[in-house]
Amino acid sequence: MELINSIFNLLFGSDPELRRIIAVTLQMSFFSTFLSAMIGIPAGVLLGANEFRGKTFISRLVNTMLGLPPVVAGLIVLLLLSRSGPLGSLNLLYTIQAMVIAQVLLITPYITAMTSNLVGVNASVINETLAGIGIRGTKRLKYFLLDFRVPFLTIILAGFGRSIAEVGAVQMVGGNIQFKTRVMTTAIMMQTNMGRFDFAIALGIILLLISFLINSVVNRVQKVAADD
Amino acid sequence: MIELKDILVKTKGRVILDVPSLIFKNGKRYGIIGENGSGKTTLLRVLMGTLQPSQGSIEGLKLNNNVGYLPQSPYAFSFSVIRNVSMTLENLQNRDEVAISALEKVGLGSLIEAKGNNLSGGEKQRLGLARVLAVPKEVLLLDEPTSATDIRGMDLIEALLQQWFEQTRGLLIFTTHAPAQALRLADEIIFLEKGRVVETGTPEILFNNPQKLETQAFLSHWSI
Amino acid sequence: MKSIKKIIVLSLISILLLSSLGCQAEPENKVIRMSTTTSVNDSGLMAYLQPAFEKATGYTLEITSAGTGAAIEKGRMGDADILLVHSKSAEEEFIGEGFNEVRIPFMYNFYVIVGPADDPAGVAGSATAAEAFQKIADTGSLFISRGDNSGTNNKEVAIWKSIEFDPAGQTWYESVGQGMGQTLTIADEKQAYTLSDKATFLAHEDSLALLLETADDMKNTYSMIVISADRFPESNVKGAQAFVDWIKTDEARKMIAEFGVAEYGEPLFFNLD
Repeated sequence: MELINSIFNLLFGSDPELRRIIAVTLQMSFFSTFLSAMIGIPAGVLLGANEFRGKTFISRLVNTMLGLPPVVAGLIVLLLLSRSGPLGSLNLLYTIQAMVIAQVLLITPYITAMTSNLVGVNASVINETLAGIGIRGTKRLKYFLLDFRVPFLTIILAGFGRSIAEVGAVQMVGGNIQFKTRVMTTAIMMQTNMGRFDFAIALGIILLLISFLINSVVNRVQKVAADD
Repeated sequence: MIELKDILVKTKGRVILDVPSLIFKNGKRYGIIGENGSGKTTLLRVLMGTLQPSQGSIEGLKLNNNVGYLPQSPYAFSFSVIRNVSMTLENLQNRDEVAISALEKVGLGSLIEAKGNNLSGGEKQRLGLARVLAVPKEVLLLDEPTSATDIRGMDLIEALLQQWFEQTRGLLIFTTHAPAQALRLADEIIFLEKGRVVETGTPEILFNNPQKLETQAFLSHWSI
Repeated sequence: MKSIKKIIVLSLISILLLSSLGCQAEPENKVIRMSTTTSVNDSGLMAYLQPAFEKATGYTLEITSAGTGAAIEKGRMGDADILLVHSKSAEEEFIGEGFNEVRIPFMYNFYVIVGPADDPAGVAGSATAAEAFQKIADTGSLFISRGDNSGTNNKEVAIWKSIEFDPAGQTWYESVGQGMGQTLTIADEKQAYTLSDKATFLAHEDSLALLLETADDMKNTYSMIVISADRFPESNVKGAQAFVDWIKTDEARKMIAEFGVAEYGEPLFFNLD
């Protein structure tokens, strides 16, 4: 069948455009996930491990941002970065950077909320135990990170999954420009719009394979980290 | 000498600790007894600074590395048992040796490679104590330090605390829900009920000749 | 309480049964599935014609739009009763496959070249689109291509072919794989040149200038294709034919000729005869 043929060709051929699409996708997703984790995990620990005035408010804010639809995030970034927008002079629209910005907006609340919820369960006992051996304030962060390193990896992996699967925001602010900002998801959408379903399915399978591969790698890392 | 003045702890409008005056002298061992919910843990938390009283002051307690506190269910981190102890010895060259020695003293020498989070309740409690004792302390605040251990573990820990006291002549303040433990370990016993200090005194006086009816009533439940 | 529950359940079931019965009682299929392209949809023409058609004939028009390729693919898959597209080569290929009854060209308009108002490549004043494209290539000015095998895209490719220049791989040539509206948005943002149909361009809000509209190599013809019942027996041939007939009426022709005049001072589409 033609479908199987196309899938085979795409998967095992050396289509330079496909390689570029995969490269852009991975570049974008790694950056988005990395930045979101750098912000989200410490923020989540701060939120989950401390009691302070306004904690409920901030928790609610984070949870609200969790519900931010990707297209809205895309719209916000689009309006900010467009030539007529406040940050227009940066000329960032339709670049990988723009896509990363939109994704960070989406993924950081997710990582923050998951981290905060995870840490919050045992936070008071941990705080008390650490206080008892003279570890207070910012010194606690290190031990929270160490203690939760395995589940944090899971959270980060979930963030990566969201990033690589996202299509609305990256289409809007990336523009799906061939060789420059075309990623797996926008390529799939484009091929579908053009009626080339066999291509679209082949790309979809490749996307799933990449996700599976990355999942496997992280799981391996988690096993090693757990045995530390 | 540690002095508490006019300490009041309220939560949601309810008073859970009301101590107008209480003194702890260095070189003595204090056992705090009382029912569950009588304010024992709250008192310890106030001393340690992990709970801010609504009003009142504490004088004479410098919260530095010489003061150690063990909560009732100390947390064991998800790395190795030995790391759980050496985490307090970050700058020490031979921290692993010191950690192992502390662990052996609490009877966990065979579990040094185990994961902290895989330990039983009693083992976590002993781990917590090893962690606190790894760095020399002048003041020890222990919240029910043997509540999760079996008889052997309890004997081990009580012996360890005695040894610590004899070597350092520091200040030991512990809570316990078994008055017999206070009888064995304390120089002075403080009896709390509903957040208030009902009576204080040496074990001999409190057990043989309590001044207050409430003290008598409480102790009569425990046949010693 | 049990009896009330019973009543509710029975009523729901009978409502369901009655409504399905009602459907079966209908002898004729009053819904026409039309598959058209994004440029046609983005111009607003269908939204403008639809109410008049539905009122005149009593049919309901279900319109979906996609790129030319996907729009035609709907016909292949039996998901449409009538196609309204504007890519002669793709249409002829489709017809050759035996999916349809007939291809009926019915209106046309012109492609235009749009770009930054200051026109760095000097496109304005060119004699043909081919000449304009040559200037763009010579100056290496940024050009946005739809890159989606649509009618517009195919026209653009044909023009590059006519000057024997392959822009693929040039840094100033960006292929975006999207519809006309989105392509114009990107061209506006980047202040780049692009080929557009006039209707979509006029309806689109941007700061691009219309730089070239010539007659011969810029004509864009729209056709209707009725899907044959041979391949898809359930397709609404009668309904599709009703639309074809209605388009030829004076009322419809007048509407097409007037579309856009009030707003832009000129018609966006021209009737073929």
